[in-house]
Order: sequence, then structure tokens, then C-alpha cells
Amino acid sequence: MKIKPLHALLTLALLVLPFLFKDNRFLGFILGITYLNIFWATGMNILYGFVGLMPLMFAAISGIAAYALLYFIAEWHINFWFALPVATLFASFIGVLLGLPSLRLKGFYFTLCSLIIQSTLTLAFIFFPKFTNGDTGINQISPPLWFGEPIKGYAFECMLALMAVVGIGVSYFVYQSNLGQRFVAIREDDVLAESLGINVVINRVVAFFIVSLYAALGGCFYATYIGFISPRSFDVLSSLNIWLFVAFGGKATIAGPVIGSILLAPLPFLLQSLEAYKDILSGVLIVLITLLMPGGIYGTYLAWRNANK
Amino acid sequence: MNQPGAIPLLSVKDLTLRFGGLYALNKINFEMHANESLGMIGPNGSGKSSFVNVLTGHFKPFSGEMQFAGQSMLGKSAHQLVGLGLCRTYQAVRVFGNLSVQRNIDTARLFFAEEGITEHQYAQYLDWLKLTPVLGKTAKDITLFEQRKLELMMRLVLKPKLIMLDEPVGGLATSEVSEMIQLLHELKAYSSVFVIEHTMRVIKELADRVVVLIAGEKIADGPPSQILSNQRVIKEYLGSAHA
Repeated sequence: MKIKPLHALLTLALLVLPFLFKDNRFLGFILGITYLNIFWATGMNILYGFVGLMPLMFAAISGIAAYALLYFIAEWHINFWFALPVATLFASFIGVLLGLPSLRLKGFYFTLCSLIIQSTLTLAFIFFPKFTNGDTGINQISPPLWFGEPIKGYAFECMLALMAVVGIGVSYFVYQSNLGQRFVAIREDDVLAESLGINVVINRVVAFFIVSLYAALGGCFYATYIGFISPRSFDVLSSLNIWLFVAFGGKATIAGPVIGSILLAPLPFLLQSLEAYKDILSGVLIVLITLLMPGGIYGTYLAWRNANK
Repeated sequence: MNQPGAIPLLSVKDLTLRFGGLYALNKINFEMHANESLGMIGPNGSGKSSFVNVLTGHFKPFSGEMQFAGQSMLGKSAHQLVGLGLCRTYQAVRVFGNLSVQRNIDTARLFFAEEGITEHQYAQYLDWLKLTPVLGKTAKDITLFEQRKLELMMRLVLKPKLIMLDEPVGGLATSEVSEMIQLLHELKAYSSVFVIEHTMRVIKELADRVVVLIAGEKIADGPPSQILSNQRVIKEYLGSAHA
């Protein structure tokens, strides 16, 4: 495994940025949200880009983790750092269960199924107020403590930056590994992969577990970073947004989801004055991407580079 | 040729495959020994591909027993059968079209962590199939003949005991057919071969024994010369021009 100087430099930039926005809380917050989305998009890319399944229930898994985290903290009176792994694993196992339809369905049919799962879970978040406080949501979520001190402001952003970098690293490692090669083989032709001795079922389950870990971990940090969650935080639009970051940047590449998140995640905040037009903009983007750049920005760049070699 | 009592490489008893009320395969009995080359012929829809699909774990049989080298194959999925040494190719050429030829082969080689084929053997196969010049190309950009050879390469690295080939010369030009027949002859040195074909030349030149399927039933089983003069086979499959 080789690490190029450019990659090291960009990684360093990701880690240093929070210090630059230390005093500008508005930009700092946008940065934090961008890190979260880099992490999420990188996770979704493992399933969407490598294995070839579009998991529209991604946000729901984040939601399950976030609600579980708050429930565990409140009911068991445990520390955030103990509740975090429990909630993450809990949501990941549910993610694997939700992935089971993929053992029989693929392509469009799986996407449709995942859309239904996502919608059902959004409704479940609303109709089980015992755990979720329903449509009102849960507010004033206290930030995690670090040796008695609450993690706030740019310290939290540093933590999110670290999480994003580790997430990118894990995704890169998976991509380079035999596991990643099997994922790609399954994406390209699952029947052929099976007849070459690849256990398609186990590999899909493993992929779902990894992706759910990303979704869940991101969800837990999202809840404590923003301080407020409601069923709307984890609805189908959130899933589609993360998908858009992956597709816009370039699926099945490591840099693609990162580029997509950096370019698109801050937009809703910077264009706050546009209000409802933001959603129209994102709809237009989805259509344009699908039609004009099926490989996304980075994918199109790679194709252009290969053609001009 | 084979000692009596030797465990057959492949043995099938009363194998039946049903799709609803339709019998795709009806009580097929069949044995094949190691180092034997078998041909299977039959009209379209007679169940040849279904037969391969059942044996390689793609379809579950309705009833019957099947064994590979003495081990039951029932309930084993396709990837587990690869572990026993049973590989197959597909009627329509099937490679990872978007990946490079090298990556295609590497993907097949993932099956073995350590005890795979040696580098020497690997180089020998590559050389034999003349794939070295196209290793860097994308698999969908190489010729059909090269793709067929790539399919063989991807099976050979799995250390197969038996390769089931579903119409290996389908779509090839006449000159390539001769070359492919030659390759398949040489392939027998590495693995037993089971071949489904409509091109009688392939069957005549390759198979020690031929099985004829018609409407899901085995109607004949014997050496090519005998089969090709069997009245029922001529009437229902070959047509009088072949007689």
C-alpha cells in the first residue's frame, strides 16, 4: 500500500482546517457538518460504489444509532463513550438485517426495497415517541465529555476531522484489500463471482455491516454535535443527499465522495437565503449528474486523464 | 479403462429438476470418471444448460442424488462446489467486462489464500493461452476468442478437477473453432472436461463419450460413433444430413 505525497498533504489539510476556523463559529459549524458528510458519503460509497447496491435506508440506520445512543445514556446513566460502541453495534446489526433483501434483490429492485425500509423507519421514529419523542424531536443533547470537560466548538470539529480521515483510510484499505476486490467482482457480475468461488452472501453481509458502522457512528456524532435530532434529520432526503455527494463526486473512487461532500455539503448553509430553492437546486443537480456525468466529477476527470494519456 | 469400483468423479442418480409442472430434467442417471471427456448434445430446451446449472449449484434439484468425487453435492452452493474442484463456464461469454484482463484473473485467484497454483504454473497457463499481450486491456475490449480463453484461464487458477463448458465455441469464427478444439484437447491434461455443444465437430473430436438429452430425458449414452448413428438421435436432433 503506497501513500502519495498529495494524499498526505490533503489529509493534513483536513486535520488542520478546524484550527483555522476556530473563531468563526458559522464557518466552523459548516466545516463540522462537511466532515460528518465526508464520513457518511465515504461509508455509503463502500456499498454503492464497490458492491453496487444503493442503500436508501442509510439515514435510517444513522437515526437508529442516534436514538439508541440517547436512550442508553438516559436509561442506563452511562457515559457517552460507553454508549457509543453499544449504540453503533446495535444499529449495525439492524443494518445487516435490513440488508438481507439484498441477498435476493439487486439493482433497481433493491433500491426500491431500501426506499420502503427508509420510509417505514421514518414513520417508526415518529410513532414511537417513547424512544424518539416523536415529531418534536430531542433537543439540548449534551455534548460528550472528555475528562469532565464537554467537547465543544473547534475541539468537536477536530474530532470529526479525525473521524473523517480514519473513515477515508478504512475505505481505502477495504478498496485495496481482497475484500474490496470481491466487492467489485460482486458488483460487476454476482453470478460469475459466485462461480469463481466467491461467497456472495457472506460478502454482502460484511459490506452491510461495514456500511452500517459508518452510518451509525456518524449518526451518534451528528446527534451530539448538532444537539438536536428529529425524525426529519434521518428521512429519505438525508439518504438521498448523501447519495448525491457520492454520485456527484464520483462513485467507486476514494476521492469522489470527499470531493462531492466538500462541494455540496456546505451549500444549504451558504445559500440559506434561497430557502425552498435549495431543494429544487439539489433536484436539478441529481438530474444533471445522472445525465451528464454518470461517473461524477472525479470519475469524469479519471476518464479524461485516461483518454489523454 | 477405469477399474471397476473406482469412485466416479461425478455421479448422478435419478436427478430431477422441476419448474412447476414442467420437468426440465427427468430422472437422469449418469456417471463420469476422472480423465474422461464427456460431451452432451440435445436440441434447444432439452435441459443441457439446466443440467449444468443443477450440478454447479445454480439451481436446486427437485429430487435425486449427485456426488462429486464421492462427496454429496446436494445443498452445496456454487462457491462451495468450486472448493471441491467443480468449475463451469457460461453459454454466453461471461467475464468482468469493465475490469482489466489481469484483474479478472486476479479476482479468480482470490479463491486461494495460499495453496493456489504456483507462479510457474500460472506463467505456463498464461503462455499457453497467449493472454500475456492483452493483460492490461479491459476485458470487454478484447476479442470474443480471447474472452473465451480468459474464461478458461479464470477456471484453471481455481485448480479444477472438472470443468463444465457450456458451448465453448459459440460465436467463434471457423479458424478459431479449430484453435479452440486444439486448446480444449490440451486442457484435458489439466482437468477433466464436460462439454455441451451444438457443433458436432467439437463433440466428435473431443468427447470419449456422448450423452444425449431430449426433453429432459437421457435417451442415449455412448461413444460418439455409436451415438451419431443412433436412429433416434438422428431423427430427433441431428437431422438426416448427418447420417
